[in-house]
Amino acid sequence: MGIKIQDLTVTFRNKVTALNHADLEIPKGIFGLLGENGAGKTTLMRVLTTVLASTSGTVTIDGILYSEGNFEKIQRKIGYLPQEIDLYPGLTVQECLEYMGDLSGIPRKACQERIRYYLEKTSLSEHRRKKMKQLSGGMKRRVGLVQALLNEPEFLIVDEPTTGLDPEERIRIRNLLVDFSEGRTVLFSTHVVEDLAATCNQLAVMKKGQFLYSGSMKELLEQAEGHVWLCNIKEEGMARELEKRYHVSSKQYTGDGLQMRFISETPPRAECSSCEATLEDAYIYIANKEP
Amino acid sequence: MKITLPFQKQAYAIFFVIILSLIRGVTYSDEIGIALEAPMAILALTFCADTYTQEITGRRSEIWRLYPMKKRIHSIYRRIVIQEIFLLAVAVISYGLFFLFQNPRTGQSGPGNEICQFLVYTAAIAVTLGFWGLMSNLLSCLLRNMWAGIGGCLVLWLTTNSSAGNRYLGAWNLFSYTFRDLENSRDFSWIYGKIVCICIGILAVAALPEIIEKRG
Repeated sequence: MGIKIQDLTVTFRNKVTALNHADLEIPKGIFGLLGENGAGKTTLMRVLTTVLASTSGTVTIDGILYSEGNFEKIQRKIGYLPQEIDLYPGLTVQECLEYMGDLSGIPRKACQERIRYYLEKTSLSEHRRKKMKQLSGGMKRRVGLVQALLNEPEFLIVDEPTTGLDPEERIRIRNLLVDFSEGRTVLFSTHVVEDLAATCNQLAVMKKGQFLYSGSMKELLEQAEGHVWLCNIKEEGMARELEKRYHVSSKQYTGDGLQMRFISETPPRAECSSCEATLEDAYIYIANKEP
Repeated sequence: MKITLPFQKQAYAIFFVIILSLIRGVTYSDEIGIALEAPMAILALTFCADTYTQEITGRRSEIWRLYPMKKRIHSIYRRIVIQEIFLLAVAVISYGLFFLFQNPRTGQSGPGNEICQFLVYTAAIAVTLGFWGLMSNLLSCLLRNMWAGIGGCLVLWLTTNSSAGNRYLGAWNLFSYTFRDLENSRDFSWIYGKIVCICIGILAVAALPEIIEKRG
């Protein structure tokens, strides 16, 4: 059934609207949520985890409406890894997970088994006697992921889990999310395009509290097709001129001069050729498209 | 235990009472309770303020929201009980430290009265510690800030632990044990103040689930 968001608006007391009449359907599997910083991703996640109440609109999860009376039922279905979390620094990994498992209401024996299973899966078994404060950023994230999975949630919500991690750890976290998406819905929020390209088939793009796109990765790439241009520019002045007029998704010095990728509806006024769009190109195209 | 009583908290509580018993002079043993009650209240209110707010500062409160309410409350109460037992043990030890460092005169209220005096002190300080610990935790949860909780409690502490507080509230003052008549050891009217503490404490315990649910 998944998550259904209809006309959702969240306005804070200081009159800032973080979500503005947003509509979205999140099916089973791993679903990416892409958007710049401040787009409203975290606010959406906080609404989905019942931390924040919406100003208007409706949200349902597996057909259950988000309302105070249903919160307990909804909370049992969700596992959440917030953007920043400082898990009990004085406890060992094992103690920390046992405590959080106990808080979740998981029977002791089942909890022990799940901890063993997930620590194995996340390659943390050998670190289980280490204190949380002794772990690296990536390891802490993995423990955070394990705590989110302990109650076997149907919906796993992870908010920018790869931020600040080295490439190896990022790949590890991404792969874990794909593994854990089997049979459940994983909502994976990030502003790192590569992370989504490597994990998701379905995604939504957010900007200023609204969804600019929601659908398959393939369709998003198709939308940007024909709008990505690769140019070889020899003069610096011309490069600077083009930079002012078009969105540049990459630039690189080559032996011949400067190779630049532009996102534009029409070909830039330079020697260029159309090229295949990457997810990053497609994101820039969608995010900056004229309404 | 490791969450609520980390080494640094235990250390500052013990240092606090060691320094207090060294610098606060008492002449007679029945003054020890007076010397200890108000400072121990400060220790309790600072000690218990982070009982739950550490989940907010550690950014774990959003995960706590997903746990069953019963479990959350049970865990907070368990933390409070552990802290209060520790503080009571510290208060009992500090009574002994006063004897050790100050060597007060004993037996002024009659022979064999020392044990009775100590038991009365233990009962009174247990209520005091419980009240200030619960209040600071409640205020911190309500305002979602440990320092706001401590500040709010300090205002109440300053109001009640004053001659004005004693004058207006009398035996019903939260610090009635401190302001009791030392000359009249049979006067137990200060118990009213402790009954007030117990009643407010019970209300605080009852209000906590509602506050945690609403404020998270």
